[in-house]
Amino acid sequence: MSAVLHAHPESGPALGVATTGKTRRVLSEAGMRGRWWRFALILAITAIVLVPIMVTVILALTPAPNSTTTGLTLENITGVFERTLAATWLQNSLITTLATVVVSVAVAAPAGYVLSRGRSKAVSGYSLLLFVMQSLPIITSVVPLFILFAAMGLVDNLMGLTIIYVGSTMTVATWMMAAYFDSIPISLEEASWIDGCSVFGSFSKVVLRNSLPGVLSTAIFAFLLAWNDYLVAIVFLRSNEIFTLPMGVQSFFQQNLTDWSGVMALAVIMMLPPIIVFAALNKYFSVGGIGGSLAGR
Amino acid sequence: MSSTTAPSGLARARKGLAPGGPGGGSRNRKDLNRKDLNRKSKLSAQTSRTFFWLLLPSVILLVLIHGYPLFHAGIQATHDGNLIETGNFVGVENFANVLSSPAFWKAAQFTLWFTIVGVFGSWLVGLGLALLLRTKIPAGGTFKVLLLLPWVVPIVVSSTAWNWLVATPDSLIPSIFRNLGLGTPLFLADPTLAAVTVMIFKVWVSFPFMMMMISAALASVDTTVYEAASMDGASRWQQFTQITLPLIARSTYISWILMTIFCVNDFPTIYLLTGGGPVDATTSLVVLAYRTVFQDFATGPGVAIAFLMTMTLVVVSVILYRQIRKSSVE
Repeated sequence: MSAVLHAHPESGPALGVATTGKTRRVLSEAGMRGRWWRFALILAITAIVLVPIMVTVILALTPAPNSTTTGLTLENITGVFERTLAATWLQNSLITTLATVVVSVAVAAPAGYVLSRGRSKAVSGYSLLLFVMQSLPIITSVVPLFILFAAMGLVDNLMGLTIIYVGSTMTVATWMMAAYFDSIPISLEEASWIDGCSVFGSFSKVVLRNSLPGVLSTAIFAFLLAWNDYLVAIVFLRSNEIFTLPMGVQSFFQQNLTDWSGVMALAVIMMLPPIIVFAALNKYFSVGGIGGSLAGR
Repeated sequence: MSSTTAPSGLARARKGLAPGGPGGGSRNRKDLNRKDLNRKSKLSAQTSRTFFWLLLPSVILLVLIHGYPLFHAGIQATHDGNLIETGNFVGVENFANVLSSPAFWKAAQFTLWFTIVGVFGSWLVGLGLALLLRTKIPAGGTFKVLLLLPWVVPIVVSSTAWNWLVATPDSLIPSIFRNLGLGTPLFLADPTLAAVTVMIFKVWVSFPFMMMMISAALASVDTTVYEAASMDGASRWQQFTQITLPLIARSTYISWILMTIFCVNDFPTIYLLTGGGPVDATTSLVVLAYRTVFQDFATGPGVAIAFLMTMTLVVVSVILYRQIRKSSVE
């Protein structure tokens, strides 16, 4: 990646001819020059913007100061799994996140369907209530929940964490599902009702089956919220073996001397899933992303 | 990021903010209403029963995770308790104490600056890049994806990288400054500089969101408008202020509201980079509330801070929300 980013703009024209052969003749000399200036500008900006991410990857792949290895290495990554509870943290993060995604969609999809199809005052009132609840800072509810969960033995517990994640994703997730169901014509359901399908039957067999993009966007949103969360984790998690990845990464900073190679190795592991999801599902990302940010990460 | 899905994403963001929630599209609603009448007679009783069961899990969660805590927080804010006991009823004493403490106002001031810089800084950078990426640039699509990375990468990861870059006098960026003969700036140890660094970090994290929102809005602008304008002799700047800005006004206000909420509620961006220090220079209201509750164990004042914050947020959102309504009427 860095090689591409540092390629000198002057070395570019060959590429320009290759990719824009058809339109080149139409563009004036000045227009061409303008394009390459803009290319150089955006290249420089992108390179600067990505410095922190490149630094993370480079430090994770270069040998630690006390290592005898030279060149690029994966020993930091294998090392962090040997020396720390990284495998447990990764597992905890995966379990919590997957559970959050599944339960969020399972709760939000039916509720979203009601918000989309229902026309009573109660339904629109509920929708407004969801909006109000979502804009409240999570810190307000975290304190009472901590007390409640402490009484129920759900502090320092992955299930407790998941319940809160599902609770905080569900407001936005419900809207996202409702917005998607709005785009599905009701005539599809009417046809199935005539065939003798119940309301629930047509929801699960007709509507849900046609809602993959909506479900995926909602899932991405829930995934990002649960995977990236730090505030809930720092309040509710206490012991090392219950930590999720964000807490694991942060635990490196409690020692006086930070093991940068180790922490960066774990950081790379932590940023891979969101990037993979982003790369694979970026068609659905804009929607999920906007929702994801709604949670105030 | 394909430009075809982006507008629909924006449309949904709009819907999400529409009064009464989703389904606000007027044409859509009219359609449904008409159909609604047909099916009401036959399916009404069964429908409402099914709707009840479909909504039930969501309602239970809302009450458990949002309703109950809010109610309990109201109790805590008016009591002098801690994490173990509710304590005695003290009325508005917590609010009075919080409002008269210098630490609260200092945090409020930082939150205000953090929000202003966070919202407008990321908006300006996002706008600039969206406009730049809209022109013909070799490999423009690749840049668009790469520039979204700061927002895709978890804050815990990026704050670690930023820490490595600036935390100590021997970190990479202070060393570069030193070698350039610019002294050794203490990015996280000097109070003013730490505040600036946190704000720059926030802009770095948030600009891709703005870029995406604005790109989506720009994609729906008809380019022939510009050709007509330049034929009429409008300058580039005039085209920008008279055409581009009004056309993206609606999504701009929406993005401002959202970003205001993210900035005011932001915890990890600040806490992970500076922990609120040095000497509380980067303590925002959320960080102050967190510390008051979980480090000083004073739940009453901590929850009172959160409530005051929420009220301010609601007021600001309502003001901006009115702007949206106005801009969509035009």
